[in-house]
Amino acid sequence: MGKVKIKRKSTLIDMTAMSDVTVLLLTFFMLTSTFLQKEPTIVYTPSSVSEEKVPTNNLVTILISSSDKSGKLENAASVEGKLFISFTGDADSTFSSEKIRGMMLEEAVSIYNDQHKNAPVRLTNQQVAEFTKINMFGVPFSVLPEYLSMSITDRDKFQGDLTQPKVGIPIDGNKNREGRLNEFQIWLKAIYNVAQRINNEQCEGLDAEQRARVQNLYGALMRQGKGIAVKADKDTPFTVVELVFDNLQTMKLNKFSLMTALKSEDEPTQ
Amino acid sequence: MAQIEPSDKGGKKKKGAQKKMQIHVDFTPMVDMNMLLITFFMLCTTMIKSQTLQIVLPTNEEVKQEQQAQAKASEAITIILDTEYGDNGKPLVDAETGKTVHHIYYYEGVADTTFQTTNFLREQQFIGNVNRQAQGIRAILREKNKAVMEQYEILKQQWRNKEITKEQFDELAKQNSNDSTKTRPVVVIKPGPNCTYEGLICALDEMQINQISRYSIELPTHTDTLLLQEFERRNGRTIIRPTVR
Repeated sequence: MGKVKIKRKSTLIDMTAMSDVTVLLLTFFMLTSTFLQKEPTIVYTPSSVSEEKVPTNNLVTILISSSDKSGKLENAASVEGKLFISFTGDADSTFSSEKIRGMMLEEAVSIYNDQHKNAPVRLTNQQVAEFTKINMFGVPFSVLPEYLSMSITDRDKFQGDLTQPKVGIPIDGNKNREGRLNEFQIWLKAIYNVAQRINNEQCEGLDAEQRARVQNLYGALMRQGKGIAVKADKDTPFTVVELVFDNLQTMKLNKFSLMTALKSEDEPTQ
Repeated sequence: MAQIEPSDKGGKKKKGAQKKMQIHVDFTPMVDMNMLLITFFMLCTTMIKSQTLQIVLPTNEEVKQEQQAQAKASEAITIILDTEYGDNGKPLVDAETGKTVHHIYYYEGVADTTFQTTNFLREQQFIGNVNRQAQGIRAILREKNKAVMEQYEILKQQWRNKEITKEQFDELAKQNSNDSTKTRPVVVIKPGPNCTYEGLICALDEMQINQISRYSIELPTHTDTLLLQEFERRNGRTIIRPTVR
């Protein structure tokens, strides 16, 4: 009898199919993903039954920081109510985020300098260019040049430390639209002015498609209240949010939206 | 990674014949890398988009008393919102449900400053639906807005039966909630000093669920405080807590 020869089988597994599947999955995730925008502080929005989606373009987001949740700070409320603003333009280049941010900054700085003639803020072209790249910011005008000269990591670190008095856009209870505005109101006025200007000047000499885009931007910011979204934590006291509402009302931006998460009708609260 | 193996088909090979080579490419590192990338994308993306709740506030400019539209006393309902805080200075969370404890005190019509009516100010909570039946403050608001809600339910049924489209439904529902021939309530939402943002959103939600088109957000007045004090006295409970901040 001859010896039975045991065939040695190779243990290699064909990974081609597996690779196909993973590439497909990867493509899916790449196409559907919208990246989380970096925000200086995390807030948990309350939930609501409203099913309207947050628009992805032509949006001004006002973020209100919540009190300290980590329990590390002695006075948890000291970091509460700091304001941050983010401008998002159209996905198209006509009114890209960069362009909108540049326009807003120029307008806001000119209003600020008009009101603070003895301590004007001067920004170099490079600093303005830096500003157009920042998604969300929240520093007073006086700190703006210093803030814009920092490197990206330093900037995040600086803005992330909410205990500093230099972080957060200053706000108070001023109700006089024509008088000396607080810095938050200056930004709101800049939004108002820029929207008006775009609507008035740039409508001429544009083709129908571009005009529609102007109308979109103007409508979002001014009329339908879809262009301004207030984002606050569910545990933030109403008095803090009310101050922001009050300032928005003073600046005649009394149509806006509140960011919420989704819940079903049956649940009482989140 | 990629190996070239001589094919080992049995039998003798002819001399001089070219060896047949099989090419194996090992895809394992490729799969590893893809998995890493997938993990990265999964962690960095937001699948759930936030929703928005639209809100229109009146202008801040002073309105003369005569110009103010006065709501009929029979239609008015005022709800005062309050959130309970725990000892740690954070909103109190119910151990059973895991939800923040909100209290609602409400009264109908004009504030009774004589404090003669028993049970003028009543207490309610956000309960939501139980077995598809409105509970808590929702049931009270629904009762107040009965005329609108009846028509709304009919519209909803039509939409479910695909007799009307979603757009038509939205349009008709909006017309219905703004129908001035029906008796509709005017709700005044008054977030108290301890009310959290969530409390306000819950109250605004109730407006949307109950199709109430006329509501306003105001700060509580001195009269409201007096009413709350009266409520405390009658029920022998402390409901006015010191303001947390």
